[in-house]
Amino acid sequence: MTIVTRLGMGALALTFATAALPAWAQTKIEFFFPVPVEGKLAREMTRLTKLYNESQKGVEVTAVYTGGYDDTKLKAQAAAKAGKPPSVVLMSANFLVDLKLSGDILPLEPMLKADETTRDDYLKDFWPALHANAVVDGELYGVPFHNSTPLLYYNVEHFKEAGIDPAKPPRTWVELVDAAKKLTKGDRYGFLMPAGYDYLGWLMEALSMSNGGRYFNEEYGGEVYYDQPSMLGAARFVEDLIFKHKVMPQGVTEAGGVSTQFFAGKASMVLLSTGSLSFIRENMKQAYDVAFVPKNVRNAVPIGGASLVMFAGQSEDSKKAGWKFIKWLTTPETLGGWSRFTGYFAPRKSSYDKPEMKEFIAKNPDAKVALDQLPYAKPWFATYQTVAVRKALEDEIQAMMNGKKKADQAVKDAQKKADELMRPYVEQTSLKLP
Amino acid sequence: MMRLRKQLSAALLAALLSAIAFLWATPFLWTLVASFRPESAGSADMASLLPDLHPTLENFRNALDSGTFGLYYVNTIIVVAGVLAVQCVTVSLAGYAFARLRFPGRDFLFYAFLLQLMLVPPALIVPNLRTVVDLGLYDTLPGVMAPYFASAFGTFLMRQTFLALPRDFEEAAAIDGAPWWAIIWYVLLPMAKPGLVAFAIVSITAHWNEFLWPLMVINSPSNQTLTIGLASFAMGAEGGKEWGVLAAGTLLVMAPLAVAFVAFQRRFVDSFVFSGVKG
Repeated sequence: MTIVTRLGMGALALTFATAALPAWAQTKIEFFFPVPVEGKLAREMTRLTKLYNESQKGVEVTAVYTGGYDDTKLKAQAAAKAGKPPSVVLMSANFLVDLKLSGDILPLEPMLKADETTRDDYLKDFWPALHANAVVDGELYGVPFHNSTPLLYYNVEHFKEAGIDPAKPPRTWVELVDAAKKLTKGDRYGFLMPAGYDYLGWLMEALSMSNGGRYFNEEYGGEVYYDQPSMLGAARFVEDLIFKHKVMPQGVTEAGGVSTQFFAGKASMVLLSTGSLSFIRENMKQAYDVAFVPKNVRNAVPIGGASLVMFAGQSEDSKKAGWKFIKWLTTPETLGGWSRFTGYFAPRKSSYDKPEMKEFIAKNPDAKVALDQLPYAKPWFATYQTVAVRKALEDEIQAMMNGKKKADQAVKDAQKKADELMRPYVEQTSLKLP
Repeated sequence: MMRLRKQLSAALLAALLSAIAFLWATPFLWTLVASFRPESAGSADMASLLPDLHPTLENFRNALDSGTFGLYYVNTIIVVAGVLAVQCVTVSLAGYAFARLRFPGRDFLFYAFLLQLMLVPPALIVPNLRTVVDLGLYDTLPGVMAPYFASAFGTFLMRQTFLALPRDFEEAAAIDGAPWWAIIWYVLLPMAKPGLVAFAIVSITAHWNEFLWPLMVINSPSNQTLTIGLASFAMGAEGGKEWGVLAAGTLLVMAPLAVAFVAFQRRFVDSFVFSGVKG
């Protein structure tokens, strides 16, 4: 026996000796969560986890803060490949298809079965728009936790000053351009939208959907509609806002810059997530209001946000513990509390029947508008290689916003790049013929 | 006339250099000013470089509240110091071997070693993480340090440093009967100090600022490092940025390095220009 193996066995024995005591009583699991909005949320999430640990004895959860949405995916997948899969992860809702195709996450159907419920029964309380991003290939893979849609925020004082009735915000693209022209003055722009990675793809989906489009095939992960009239129109619209109507600054502004410009009165109307509601409410000094995303063909917005998923490769005990924790995190009460704290909307309809929630909505009419837009919400794009396929469009649109490319060429190039990225999957599925 | 022209051109040069220095320092100035500005998320002068008339410590309080910063400092210092301590041993020994020892395949091995510089670190995340798990170092500070114990850049730097030293000193010591380790410790290393210091600066800044790898290895809140603490308010994707808190947090993270640089500036510069061998 070499020294190394002897040491190894000694360490193993020690692990067993120390692990043996609490192992009967407690299952220890890890919960990875990103902080998509601001730092305070990390503390709130840690507080929630502590509350859960103190509320029962069977499970001890370690909440691990894991950076942004993309970092969280990277860390969870790397940990799983290294043999240390986390039990529960709060994952960007549009990563589920990708994670299912790579075999990283578990279907939650066995848990539903153990609870003697069906998928339809379980999902009944969740807003219909959220179902598509939680179910992959007919099986439940994620439980929605916090969700958002894009929303139009506008400066009421600027509206009055420009002679626009603040009670009648723009409902259509025509009205939007019209208002933005009146609002643009000096170094102030009438309209602004974030164009950094992730946000831009989401907002282009909102615009192409408002233009009658779908962005992607909800039923099949190998198709996107970048070079179709709905997206082409949306791209030309953004191009015109910058170069023809001159109501939006040229170049790429990140989300942080957009909210700051809005606070500073340098942008009169901005497109931002409903997830920013609390942040805007706390920081905007001038009067503001919110409205639906203006439409060209129809009212439609994609959802955003995150779902709780469980990783493959964990023990049966860990699975049971993880599912218990997910159920606790997604009670109507917990979801409602988190919604009021963050500004995201709660995925369960019943959260809104609670008295604290009714009181909150009555006090904050802007939260009501976000809720009213929900019936028009549609799924978030989710394809094979979601992030890369999204970036294919974003890179081209950014080039267009910088004046380096025309809209028509941009969507064509984006489609070509996306097709190349999805080809391996398409060849294994749709184009695999007998 | 000539003198006037000389003076004029000197003044011009000074003005140009100050302008460049000012440009270069703008981000630091802004961070400093913004971190003391009250409620800068909403104010119109968020981007202004002029300090506010009513400075506040509120931003620092908020930043400190968002995590256990004291612990993050300790963890970061342990990681940085631990990595550097081991690296000093490995790179000087490896550098010595490649510079002075003769063995078959030495040059091939050296170039193979240098290839490591061309790999992008993210490509190594999964294999490294596997090794760290196998070694039982997952979620520990030594797990964060382990992949950096050997450094291709450091080995290269030390090899070049040793090659530049004349052999006379070692030969004199060898004649006096000094063993190889004594030659390295008493003769070569003191003369190679500039190389070591230069490497230390690079190593310390790199590991102090590193984000991705510690994020991958560490789960327990008690083992987290400064950059991860900072990320909790810098990574906001959907919301806005609270610039004041962000600036205060950034300042908290970079302050120790900045202070160290200012304090030891002379030594740093000296270490580059001095050498143990004179004319």
